[in-house]
Amino acid sequence: MDFDFSPEEQKFADEVEQWLVDNHDPVVMDPHRENFTQLADTPERRAFMQKLAAKGWLGMSWPKEYGGKEIEGVYEYILNEALSKHAAPQIGKGVGIIGKTLIRHGNEKLKAEFLPKILNAEVEFAVGYSEPQAGSDAANMQLKAEKVDGGWNLNGQKMWTTSAHFADWYWVGARTDPDKSKHDGLSLFLIPMDHPGLEVQSLPTIGKDTTNQVFFEDVFVPDDYLVGKRGKGFQMISEALDLERFTMFTLSPIADRTRVLVEWVRDAKRDDEPLKDDANVRRLVAQIVTDTAVAKALSTRFVCAAKSGGKPPTVQSSQYKLFTTTLSQRVCKDALDITGAAGTIMEGQDEAPLLGRFEGAYRATMNETVGGGSSEIQKNIIARRHLGLPKNF
Amino acid sequence: MDLDLSEEQQMIVDMTQSMLQEHSTIEVVREMEDDPKGYPDALWKQFGELGLNGILIPESYGGGGMTLFEAALVYEELGRAMAPVPHFTSCVMSAGVLLEAGSDAQKTEWLPQIASGDAILTPAWLEPDRGYGPAGVALQARTDGDHLVLSGTKRHVGYASSADRLIVLARSEAGIDLLLVDPSAPGIKLTHVLAQGRDPQYRIDFSDVRVRASDRIGAPGSGWDTWNTVMHDGIILIAAQSIGGADRCLEETVEYANERVQFDKPLGAFQSLAHYMADASTRIDGGRVLVHEAAWNRAQGRSVERFAPMAKLFCCETYRETTRACAQIWGGVAFTIEYDQQMYFRRAKEYQLSWWDTPYLEELIAADVLDT
Repeated sequence: MDFDFSPEEQKFADEVEQWLVDNHDPVVMDPHRENFTQLADTPERRAFMQKLAAKGWLGMSWPKEYGGKEIEGVYEYILNEALSKHAAPQIGKGVGIIGKTLIRHGNEKLKAEFLPKILNAEVEFAVGYSEPQAGSDAANMQLKAEKVDGGWNLNGQKMWTTSAHFADWYWVGARTDPDKSKHDGLSLFLIPMDHPGLEVQSLPTIGKDTTNQVFFEDVFVPDDYLVGKRGKGFQMISEALDLERFTMFTLSPIADRTRVLVEWVRDAKRDDEPLKDDANVRRLVAQIVTDTAVAKALSTRFVCAAKSGGKPPTVQSSQYKLFTTTLSQRVCKDALDITGAAGTIMEGQDEAPLLGRFEGAYRATMNETVGGGSSEIQKNIIARRHLGLPKNF
Repeated sequence: MDLDLSEEQQMIVDMTQSMLQEHSTIEVVREMEDDPKGYPDALWKQFGELGLNGILIPESYGGGGMTLFEAALVYEELGRAMAPVPHFTSCVMSAGVLLEAGSDAQKTEWLPQIASGDAILTPAWLEPDRGYGPAGVALQARTDGDHLVLSGTKRHVGYASSADRLIVLARSEAGIDLLLVDPSAPGIKLTHVLAQGRDPQYRIDFSDVRVRASDRIGAPGSGWDTWNTVMHDGIILIAAQSIGGADRCLEETVEYANERVQFDKPLGAFQSLAHYMADASTRIDGGRVLVHEAAWNRAQGRSVERFAPMAKLFCCETYRETTRACAQIWGGVAFTIEYDQQMYFRRAKEYQLSWWDTPYLEELIAADVLDT
């Protein structure tokens, strides 16, 4: 039993921390973006990612033959937590979902084409799974991929593709085998985002970022750009999610919000009295601080499960995601309740408490209990895989 | 970071588990409910023989000299089995007070007997219409030569009828004192009070009870500091016990949800019920790591000023909420004495209200976060 990092891990954490202090960039590291700085479409962010690449911090857990260092995933966890604590972009889906899936299942051409670019932060991806009829029911994708000479012809629509408006490549699930069962008829493709058959339409959100719907009209994809085996798309998607779910909602921004709220309450006044003397405020703060410690405990749990090797920490990451995203929203709600009417002043104005950090976060975190598998999907996973209860839908 | 138990720690868990399975069966637990003595000799003997009573007592006083972390592992098992024993009152709180502030003579006299199980000590702390903090201690200790004379009333004194000594929190001229008091001394009256968790609790009336000043534990007026320190250890163990109880309650409920059929489906196939259980398991698994982290920090000699109340706050609410949600799955039978669910349900609330309740714990956390 040991709740501290090993000396090597601590050394790495210290090195990253120092580097982030030395390389602070207020354009790239904007805490008001609430855990989503990686979605900023700016040259500064791209330049920052290349600095991370130059440090050798992208793909650390990859095998050496693909340019990785074959070190434990805990280092990527440490890096991601440090990045998100500083509101810097995280290492991203290229290194995680796409890189790791290509390494396990991709053909030699795709590996040679994409893996070096991912390590050098020279390529941005968008991930296309969701569709109008495939939300929580992810396997219900209808995007049609018809076999044609030398490749595939794709027609249909994707929804909620967050980075589609600036990505270079599109990682897409499509139905190649409509006669097979729902889960066995899907395949994965890589498509250049500037393909003339793709039309990206922005869907502005309640938070700061836009998401997109993407329409496919006769999008031709050469055979080589089908990833892995035909019909194995859903298995690869699930496997990558198992490995990556916990990287989607890092703890640091949430813990940092708790810290920011506490700091504010310590100094705030109401009716000339210290706000911290209000009994209700004290109770809320105690509860938030306690639940933040539990979120940390659940993250320790999946990190340790991941370190031990063996099965991917599916249950642990579902429990973490369920608890932490719920807490994340509650911290924002309680913060607004504590600030009172002033909490409604829109983010960015000097008059707003903390420049409206919590007004903005209240909106930005609305999606956290939905994206990356809704709370209800996480509960289904926990019920079946952890408790051994029967399928319930 | 590593959440695995060492081989020795795993052995303690296994040993405790198998002993409790044999000697603290559900029949034994039920038999002890409302019993004025409240623990079976055979079970208590096992605790002594396995060294569990001395787990926190140094080897030099006949104990095992282990840390609060090992004790937390044991307490999770005690919670699972609902084991009816005076371990917490005697081996944790009383031993803790003596270790923290007792004189050599007091430690030499009592700690080896606590470790063997030959003596039972129990704290007399809470009072009617008074709170959990220092202001709650009103029982009067009047100085009379080299004696103190006690007058007042204590409540929620566990296992008092079996106690060889009480550790009484009393208000003297100096402030709050901790006093070793023989419960058979003249002027002491014990009254058995039935409690929700069905452990033996006593009201104790003190009328002009004479205690030698040399039976004071620690310096005059230092009682609350000692008590507060020991409480921070104690509540980590109550948190562990609550996680154990919640975990066992959920296990039994999952089993039932897989067997019991309604509308031609097992109950567990209803999403509304499955989600109750998924939520409970998430809180239990997170709470367990929080307890381990608190106990581990204590074992490393680090402050648990914030961790200990957080652990008890979260784990006691987890136990309470788990038993509430599980009752929905058991339906009508949860409400009957015949089924065991009601036993967890009652204990969960008692643990939450004993040894510092939710508002008191929240204030400890808030003070640490906001005022320091």
